[in-house]
Amino acid sequence: MKGKQILSAIAAVLALLLAAAMPALAEEKNDIVIGGSMPLTGPFAFAGIQFNRGLRDYMEWLNEQGGIEGRKVRYVAEDTGYEPDQSVAVFRRITSRENVSFYFGDSTAFHQTINRELDRRDIMMTGASFASELNDTERYPLQFMHGPDYSEQVAILLRHIAEEDPGARVAFIYSDTEFGRDPISAGRETAEELGLEVAARIVTPPGAADISSAALELRRARPDYAIFHGYILAPIPDFIRRARQMGMETRFMGTYYSMDQSIIDEMGEAADGFMGVMPYRYFYEEDAGESELMRAIHERNDEYQTIYYIQAWVAGSMMAQIARETLARGEPLKGSRMRASMEGLDEVDTGGVIGVPVRFRGNSLPVGRIYRADVEAGRMVPVSDWIDLD
Amino acid sequence: MRIGSAKESYIADEALFATRTQWVWFALLLASLVLFPFVSNLYWLYLACLVSINVISATGLNILTGFTGQVSLGHAAFMGVGAYTVAWLDNNAQTPFYLNLLAAAGVTTAVGLVAGLPSLRVKGLYLAIATIAASFILQFVFINWESVTRGTRGINIEPPEIMGIVLDNPDTFYWMVVPIMVVMVLLAANLFRTRVGRAFIAIRDRDISASVLGISLPAYKLMSFAIASFYAGIAGGLYAYFMGSINPESFPLLMSIFFLAAIIVGGMGTILGGILGAIFMTLTPEVLRYGVDLASPFIDEPGAVLSPVRTIVFGALIVGFLLFEPHGLAEIWRRIRRFFHLWPFRT
Repeated sequence: MKGKQILSAIAAVLALLLAAAMPALAEEKNDIVIGGSMPLTGPFAFAGIQFNRGLRDYMEWLNEQGGIEGRKVRYVAEDTGYEPDQSVAVFRRITSRENVSFYFGDSTAFHQTINRELDRRDIMMTGASFASELNDTERYPLQFMHGPDYSEQVAILLRHIAEEDPGARVAFIYSDTEFGRDPISAGRETAEELGLEVAARIVTPPGAADISSAALELRRARPDYAIFHGYILAPIPDFIRRARQMGMETRFMGTYYSMDQSIIDEMGEAADGFMGVMPYRYFYEEDAGESELMRAIHERNDEYQTIYYIQAWVAGSMMAQIARETLARGEPLKGSRMRASMEGLDEVDTGGVIGVPVRFRGNSLPVGRIYRADVEAGRMVPVSDWIDLD
Repeated sequence: MRIGSAKESYIADEALFATRTQWVWFALLLASLVLFPFVSNLYWLYLACLVSINVISATGLNILTGFTGQVSLGHAAFMGVGAYTVAWLDNNAQTPFYLNLLAAAGVTTAVGLVAGLPSLRVKGLYLAIATIAASFILQFVFINWESVTRGTRGINIEPPEIMGIVLDNPDTFYWMVVPIMVVMVLLAANLFRTRVGRAFIAIRDRDISASVLGISLPAYKLMSFAIASFYAGIAGGLYAYFMGSINPESFPLLMSIFFLAAIIVGGMGTILGGILGAIFMTLTPEVLRYGVDLASPFIDEPGAVLSPVRTIVFGALIVGFLLFEPHGLAEIWRRIRRFFHLWPFRT
């Protein structure tokens, strides 16, 4: 090895050490900092990129409005690749430089892992996971969801079914993952309470491309309704096409993460009539003008914005409200204090993106509305009122 | 410059550290490991703990794959067995953490022995597939044995406690995981000074010749699986304690590939290779974040724009190493050492 190469190797090592020792950048002391472990790459990037844009745009908008009680808000996030190890690393990296008040997480595993650390650092967190497991105020006192958890989403769907078609036969189709299995046992109980019959529970292996045997199982069960959970898009289109080919009349439904406009754009004709639960308004909704937040979103964007982008705005607006409430009480922005002021809220400010007044039940907001894919109109249209499980 | 290293006995020939200089360097390394927590923040301590766990696991896989030549893609699942053993004991028995860790290693060793049985008949790619099967079966068990694993909901683990000090943060956990890592690595290094270790190498180089030399292939192959699983069990148990929460998706097949990549990039069949590979694979994506930081004054939204680039650079670095440094990082290390040994003369 030549001397030059060695020198460059040594230089590289020195650079690394310097980088490691680099002191935290001096920042405005008075800023309210919102950190984020964002899945900008990896399997969840389609939503992560939108969360990131949404939170950034919301904070920009909020600062234009004068921030929170005159204090500026700063959003600091980094990529995690949707890996819990990296999500924790990002959390450590951001919290070692900044005095973070709020945090946005990216996966259920991360929400669970970081919980201890949240308690210690007294940081409030929300995020992409609507896992029922997290809806436990004893175990996760510093976490909240900005929508209904997965079990509640399924319960909203079931309640709609029970009203529309009492005694109907329902099937659950879900992926064999933490995400997919989440609401199934609670869903079965809710169905029984509502007088619905659970005709089948069909589980598909994670990432399975071939669903022929599952489709046959569905045909044998011949349910009136089938609820998908644990998928984004695939294999929902395939299921629906096969069911139509077999002449089945089953009505298909989905939960939040499979409810973006892309289901119509990518599925075409077959999507017609697909229904699902949505806690937020869509970008193109006609009465969107009623909502302050939706107006702000429209001012900034001419083109369609995904549900994840809007979700991030709602999350941001709830953080801002909790911070405002806590400061109004003369308390510091510490997680435990913010939790207390959060529980004191009579009404959660969603900027009108959720169409009815809502408040926390446990860690979640158990409210949503049923939307149906109208392929001719090319958009999702509401078919029910806002359903509040409270 | 080093002039001659005449060895007069077999013991001297087998020694881990041949010269006094090496002992000095080793002492310096240990000293810097001791000093590290005092000069770094929680982010770097978190990474140090993660690296230590990965070094233990990679060293285990290196014994099996690098030294014995048995390809395994079930390593992450074995870590899962260790992690779940710790989690179950932590939630159901009031045993101290070191017993839990040992139990994790024990259970994983037993599982590894069973998973290693196919190695008696198949090798190479076939064995890789057989170990993937073991990995899938274990994954299925993690998901469906709900009474023990709590299924997909995941299971929480309380942090370990030593003499009243709760090791619930990287700055305290460091003092447990790094000594364990050092001991495990030294044990592995010493293994190859014994008959067992040499038998492993003989099997890797030519199994038929090894058996002609009187090495019992079934016994030693299984022993290699057992030792590798022991390491995976310890690493998995530490991972469970460190993360505080695990679920069946904590140990995906991709993680097994991560460790295989680590020992290939680091250098198969050298102890140093496993260490350097684990450090490289864990830290490179993090260090590349500083590239993103550096670009931030020049690019709007560097996080969103450069994150995919970061992934690509990481991939390109791995390919680069395989192309230009097929013997891994350990070989670079050796070359640097040789340079100083021969200095001021040219190689």
